[in-house]
Amino acid sequence: MRGVLGIFPQLDAAVDAVEDLKHQRLGDVTVYTPTPRHELEHAIHAPASPVRRFTLIGGLLGATFGYWIAIWSSDYWPLVVGGKAIASWIPYTVFGFEMMVLIGGLSTVAGLFINARVPRLTAVVGYDRRFSHGDFGVYVEAAPNQIQAAEQLMRKHGAVEVRGER
Amino acid sequence: MATIAKPRARPPEEAPRRPNIPSANIQLPAVRDYEQVDNEITATLHPTVTWFAGLGIAILCMLIGASAWTYQIYWGLGQAGYEPPVMWGVYIITFVFWIGIGHAGTLISAILYLFRAGFRTTIYRVSEAMTVFAVMTAGLFPIIHIGRPWKFFWLIPYPNWRLIWPQFKSPLVWDVFAISTYLTISTTFLYIGLIPDIAVLRDRETNPVRKRILSTLSLGWRNSDREWRHFARAYLFLAAFSTPLVLSVHSVVSFDFAMAVTPGWHTTIFPPYFVAGAIFSGFAMVWTIIIPLRRWWGLKHYVTLNHLDASAKMVLFTSLVVGSAYLSEFFIAWYSGLRSEQEYFWNRIFGQWWWAGWSLLICNMVFPQTLWSQRLRRNTTWLFILSIIINIGMWMERFTIVVPSLSHEFEPWQWGGYRPSWVDMSFLVGSFGWFFMWFLLFIKQLPVIAIAEVKEIIPPKLRATHPHEDNIDHAGRHLEYEPDTPGEYA
Repeated sequence: MRGVLGIFPQLDAAVDAVEDLKHQRLGDVTVYTPTPRHELEHAIHAPASPVRRFTLIGGLLGATFGYWIAIWSSDYWPLVVGGKAIASWIPYTVFGFEMMVLIGGLSTVAGLFINARVPRLTAVVGYDRRFSHGDFGVYVEAAPNQIQAAEQLMRKHGAVEVRGER
Repeated sequence: MATIAKPRARPPEEAPRRPNIPSANIQLPAVRDYEQVDNEITATLHPTVTWFAGLGIAILCMLIGASAWTYQIYWGLGQAGYEPPVMWGVYIITFVFWIGIGHAGTLISAILYLFRAGFRTTIYRVSEAMTVFAVMTAGLFPIIHIGRPWKFFWLIPYPNWRLIWPQFKSPLVWDVFAISTYLTISTTFLYIGLIPDIAVLRDRETNPVRKRILSTLSLGWRNSDREWRHFARAYLFLAAFSTPLVLSVHSVVSFDFAMAVTPGWHTTIFPPYFVAGAIFSGFAMVWTIIIPLRRWWGLKHYVTLNHLDASAKMVLFTSLVVGSAYLSEFFIAWYSGLRSEQEYFWNRIFGQWWWAGWSLLICNMVFPQTLWSQRLRRNTTWLFILSIIINIGMWMERFTIVVPSLSHEFEPWQWGGYRPSWVDMSFLVGSFGWFFMWFLLFIKQLPVIAIAEVKEIIPPKLRATHPHEDNIDHAGRHLEYEPDTPGEYA
């Protein structure tokens, strides 16, 4: 999809451009920022991240696995001590907890990678090395007949550079 | 008739030397914009003569430890200073010491993140890296201690045909799970936090080989709003997982002792006592590292005296917790009426191990009381000296936990002594060499102050005051922050 990329040195200029692009419905907007800024989050109106579901499911699976491996091993290779339970949930909570953290943590990272679409091994449109430095970028995927309007809008809001990307 | 006392005239209030700043409100007034952050932090990556000298010393120390290990493998575990009844010595002491060092890293990076403590921002990367390398160092010692390190995988409790059945009720097996989880999650947490900063390095890099490596490590990070949104959520959950993890790991390490029916060990106070001690010693190690670094790299305006002041308050607090635990132990021994417990603590203060007992009390309880003074909390020379004192004290604490208990159990035939051999002490030196070798290599490859997080507290460039950013003026300065005062970055 073809689009327009605007580079803004000032945060408020980028925020205004995003709000205007959203208002005029010129296309999907992607913002690049050297650090997370809540002003841009408000302007983008993005839905809540689903990473939390990965965390929850991973944590539950991990806790289940931790208890299961300890109980199953104890039952299959029993160490019999008179008067003591073969499988005891109190010490096995250590395994349940540690596996919950381990699997839950790694699932969280998997959730990040899947949702953020990283690792990204190919070159992508709409990125400029200035975005990791100090400038803000606004990229809008626009239909060919709206490219010019998008470029004008970016310039109006103070973009120091506007270029077409495809 | 009742009389009303005349109100006494209030003495003129002495102006504080420095306003007491809430730790969450620490700002970086001398860091003006994003470009300055990038330039100053990436400048720390260039190797210097001092760095090469430090790395050389670290490798030398590491080689001393490696030589001792080779010697021990050839001649056997008897070369360590073990003699019945004391069969745990420097290896286990140093294992607990390094695990403890790692804990402050997770506290600073995860727990203080959840509490939104602003003073963590510029010191958390150092702490996180310290955690990973400290746990890597600690993990060596159980392997060294088993004597036949090539059979270390026997520690992993999987069903096998070697007639070693997994014992999931053993604290030593809990340790394997706890520490391997801790190392994995700490490393993951460190790496995830590094990704945006590696992208900064990638975009500034001109060498094609290094650029390719950094591109791979940064996973193609683009700083898009989608990436940041999921990153922030994932980072929060990793912090939320790390928080109970850090408390659990040292609790599990303390169970290695507390689950045994040995005088001085069999006590329920051990988990919180160990966790507080770990945070205490870890903060001290952060000082040992960060105070020279901020001076050598000219980063006093990033790690300001306010940051050190706030961390000094944490050290003072944890010192009080640890001190309370020490005193509680004495009280419990007296109150229990158990002769074996009472003899152990008597032995620790007035008997065979008096020198170890007193040195830990003085180093960990007495010297940190100086931190009630604001002047000393802001004196970097004193903080550095104190950090060394605390770490000596905390190593002695672990010595005092491990050795006196084993050397004075219930019956006279279980009484003995312990003298570390040169092999033991070489491993101790080698562990510091191993730790600092990794740390020094790390700080010249990757930014030791989190670039993206520092930018979060730096005012962005604005055309005009934005309604969402009411504490920033047109010049991009924080309005609520106090002005600079002389001595801020000393």
